[in-house]
Amino acid sequence: MYKDNREYIKALEAAGELVTINQEVDWDMEAGAIVRKVCEESGPSPLMNKIKDYPGHRYFGAPLASYRKLAIALGLPPDSAIPEIAKVYLERTNKTPIKPVLIDKDKAPVKENIFIGDKADMLDLLPAPIVHEGDGGRYLCTWHFIVTKDPDNGDVNWGMYRQMVYDGKTLTGPLLPFSDGGKVFHGKYKQMGKPMPFATVIGPDPISAIAASAPAPMPETDFAGMLMGKPIELVKCETVDLEVPANAEIVIEGEILPDVSLEEGPFGEYTGYRTSPRDMRQVYRVKAITHRNNPITTISNMGIPTDEGQLLRSFSLGLEMDKLLRSQGIPITGVFMMPESTHHLVIVGVKPIYTNIAAQIAQTVFGSKLGPWFHMVVVVDDECDIYNFNEVLHAWTTKCHPINGIHVWQGVGTPLYPFLSAAERIKSVGPKVCFDCTFPLDWDPLSEVPSLVSFKTVYPKEIQEKVLANWKNYGFKSS
Amino acid sequence: MFKYDTYIESLTDLPEGEEIKLSVRDLTPGKQRYAYKHVMAIVSADPERYPDKMQVRFGRGQLHGQPYSMQVIKEVNIVPERYL
Ligand SMILES: Cc1cc2nc3c(=O)[nH]c(=O)nc-3n(C[C@H](O)[C@H](O)[C@H](O)COP(=O)(O)O)c2cc1C
Ligand SMILES: [Mn+2]
Repeated sequence: MYKDNREYIKALEAAGELVTINQEVDWDMEAGAIVRKVCEESGPSPLMNKIKDYPGHRYFGAPLASYRKLAIALGLPPDSAIPEIAKVYLERTNKTPIKPVLIDKDKAPVKENIFIGDKADMLDLLPAPIVHEGDGGRYLCTWHFIVTKDPDNGDVNWGMYRQMVYDGKTLTGPLLPFSDGGKVFHGKYKQMGKPMPFATVIGPDPISAIAASAPAPMPETDFAGMLMGKPIELVKCETVDLEVPANAEIVIEGEILPDVSLEEGPFGEYTGYRTSPRDMRQVYRVKAITHRNNPITTISNMGIPTDEGQLLRSFSLGLEMDKLLRSQGIPITGVFMMPESTHHLVIVGVKPIYTNIAAQIAQTVFGSKLGPWFHMVVVVDDECDIYNFNEVLHAWTTKCHPINGIHVWQGVGTPLYPFLSAAERIKSVGPKVCFDCTFPLDWDPLSEVPSLVSFKTVYPKEIQEKVLANWKNYGFKSS
Repeated sequence: MFKYDTYIESLTDLPEGEEIKLSVRDLTPGKQRYAYKHVMAIVSADPERYPDKMQVRFGRGQLHGQPYSMQVIKEVNIVPERYL
């Protein structure tokens, strides 16, 4: 695994997943457009070595927007199948959390350049891109995380919460109240009327980025350590009492104001739309900037699938649901959330041992910390391969009873849901639906339950084996 | 060349010839492009009426076809002194 993006970029190059662009690229839309096209084609990540107005700076786009890149980031063979990647992620994150270590400032690359006070001007120092035409501003922070600390128990949180450059000294962004960082800001600092110290980490190593975008049930420092298999190296900030990864590319330090809001957005979002309009949102005032030599700013470009937000959030939300459901003793076969659904649709496989198990699964996941981010749960039985969408669609359209098999509830949702009315968005309303794609257990297996007609289920073993053994002899090419 | 742009909810946010408080982005090319400021200004749907040309966008980034003009009367600071 890779201690920084520079090592990871080399690994991507070796796997044919990198394009190095040496001609000048404009930070005003051109770089964003390149990254968007890469996402829509699942293409190799661009490394842009020359950026207009910002000599010495570089961009790294679409860092993790495919399962191939995710496999590489986790140190697995690039062609690993999704269930294999999921298995490794579950194995690693079910182990004991690994606490980070603190290293000296003189050993930390992110301290190669330090700017404090008036000198720490983002517009002057950093090539914040216009990611999409029409965005409310220059989104410097799209593949990054914000470090904060709980003032009561000292718990550290890393959360990927978008930030727009408002002016050289100010960032703005939505710190949603149900996010971990949001809970501490809205629930504690704001109540005390005190600014909340923050540090934004741009261009973190891929594992730390995965941890920060995951709904980790613990401080993400320790979660990243588990995924990495060793402690993450941190270094103290210059102006706030926080620690940041020593091998990150860029760090912005400062405080979030408790009693001021300023314009933010609109922004092209992970749902593939601009849903939340321009609004007044949280204000981050900058006190210091530190960065490596020739720093590499990461760019994620949210829009129609597939970008890293959709892919990684689907991956980690689904797998945290897997852990949650197993912890409740529900006999699931697995959970798969589809990135193409912009993490709105999750497929759960279960051995249906009692009636209405589907509704219990849906209520458990909707009622958890994970709940605000998705609204469709499709429960299939253990005959169905949750990773094979053809099988899932077949089960969905044939086993789900339109009246008895569809359950709807009102829950909590993100204001980014495109289908909500403006009034619903303000109230964090989140309608939820469960599709029970299992046959009722009280049907008589002999006289009532339809039997599946497929090669694997209707022919005797001997016939199947004979046909498979002769497949090439018949004249077919593939097996 | 547009000197500023602004995001509005509806065109009634831009009354003709009245002094209003406006949040604008500076479109001057270069590193400082798209920096925000709050100003007291007079605006007009006639692009020639005041010295600076202004582009208008709606809440989700949609460009309004009609170019505006505006005159900044003064900049206003809306972040309280104690945080500056
Ligand atoms: C690219 C990207 C941008 C995101 N932007 C925001 C945001 O602006 N506000 C927010 O609350 N969550 C945002 N999220 C979702 C959070 O990163 C996600 O909920 C994460 O699990 C937060 O960690 P937490 O559980 O510590 O709150 C974003 C995710 C990604 C991948
Ligand atoms: Mn967290």
